[in-house]
Amino acid sequence: MNQAVQAELITHESHALPPVHLDQFDGPLDMLLHLIRSQEMDIFDIPMALITTQYLGILKRQDELDLEVAGDYLVMASTLMQLKSRMLLPRPEMDVDGNEIDPRAELAAQLIAYEQYRMLAEELSERPRLGRDLFLRPIFPESAKVVRPLPEADLDGLLIAFRAVLKRVGGEVRHRIFRETMSVRERMATVLDRLSKGSIQLDELLIDEPGREALVTTLLAILELWRQQSITVIQAESLGSITLLLKEAPNGSG
Amino acid sequence: MGADNVQYLPLQIEALLLASDEPLSIARLGSLLGEETPSSDIRAAISELEARYRNRGIQIVQVAGGWQLRTAPEYADLIHQLWEIRPQKLSRSAMETLAIVAYRQPATRAEIEALRGVKVSSQMISTLQERGWIKVLGRKEVPGRPHVYGTGKQFLVDFGLDSLKDLPDSAQLMDEDEIQQMVMENIEPHEEKYETDTEKS
Repeated sequence: MNQAVQAELITHESHALPPVHLDQFDGPLDMLLHLIRSQEMDIFDIPMALITTQYLGILKRQDELDLEVAGDYLVMASTLMQLKSRMLLPRPEMDVDGNEIDPRAELAAQLIAYEQYRMLAEELSERPRLGRDLFLRPIFPESAKVVRPLPEADLDGLLIAFRAVLKRVGGEVRHRIFRETMSVRERMATVLDRLSKGSIQLDELLIDEPGREALVTTLLAILELWRQQSITVIQAESLGSITLLLKEAPNGSG
Repeated sequence: MGADNVQYLPLQIEALLLASDEPLSIARLGSLLGEETPSSDIRAAISELEARYRNRGIQIVQVAGGWQLRTAPEYADLIHQLWEIRPQKLSRSAMETLAIVAYRQPATRAEIEALRGVKVSSQMISTLQERGWIKVLGRKEVPGRPHVYGTGKQFLVDFGLDSLKDLPDSAQLMDEDEIQQMVMENIEPHEEKYETDTEKS
């Protein structure tokens, strides 16, 4: 009796679950753990019917599902529903040794394993980190081995830097249409060749280009190489100088 | 080597640490200070420095098999202001992926996905690679020969670890078999649930 009342209370509370959004979660396991832990459920005795209802409820309440993200959630939804129906079977399932198998065992193990790493990830995040909490004296002597943090540059940064170079070089203003005298493909090879000797600043690379057309061709070559993921483009600070370097082949040496 | 040299050893090391942009190991310090310098003297000198740097705005930290001078974490905000930077936040999923690689290495992408229950994007892998936190260790000899990942040296440097043995809480980490056993021992047989009720009354 006591338990029946309690069970009802839990079901009741479930309606009052604070609204959540998928973005808050790092995947279906994260969401399940949230449901289990926030309602103080026993991970070794997960109430399948209730948790499935709650889980599907959250999915249903999403305005739109990003298909790529949703896939993982939907797989879990079907797992939950399958477990729920297996729990209803009158006779317990047996393993080869004749021991009773709880259908929920695998899910519980998966959740426990995930929870461990979720906790470790949090611990790692909170650890004082170089470049975030701790700093070195910012002097970088010229050495090939110097390791610097590599934040991502974006297209805007590249274009702003390009504009700055254009201004400095004072490119041609007259508008004429030429046949292509310089090929982007050819220029890509030159850039790659130059980068194979080591990384280079964008300014340095562009400074010797004769005139606007050469500049544009080189920029196109850089963009194309970047798109092909042959090179990496780095801007250490906003409006700072831009560095280009070769992207190492995934199975390259070192 | 006279006593004079030993007296200056901490100061020499202090200068080297300030001027170096990567952790200096005992071996590296030895080769810089002259091969005759016994490593025991270097160790003693470092201990002395460490004691001197306690309660300072900069610290001597043992990382990635060496020593490095760094600002104390308490003053992070000040440095952010000085450099006008706002350090990038890493997503929880990136940190989870990193944690799995760090604690389970060598790990394949499929293993990471199985543990996290979600797809791991190539972009996330390359972000972690670009930071030097993870790297490809080789390939696993299973169908498809997938890459196996492990942590790179920069991971130790950035997270202030001397070696992988210093990863926090690694002793408590349960492997699959231990978890399996724990579940088997603890799982509540679902049919007996209502019998406990009759016992009570």
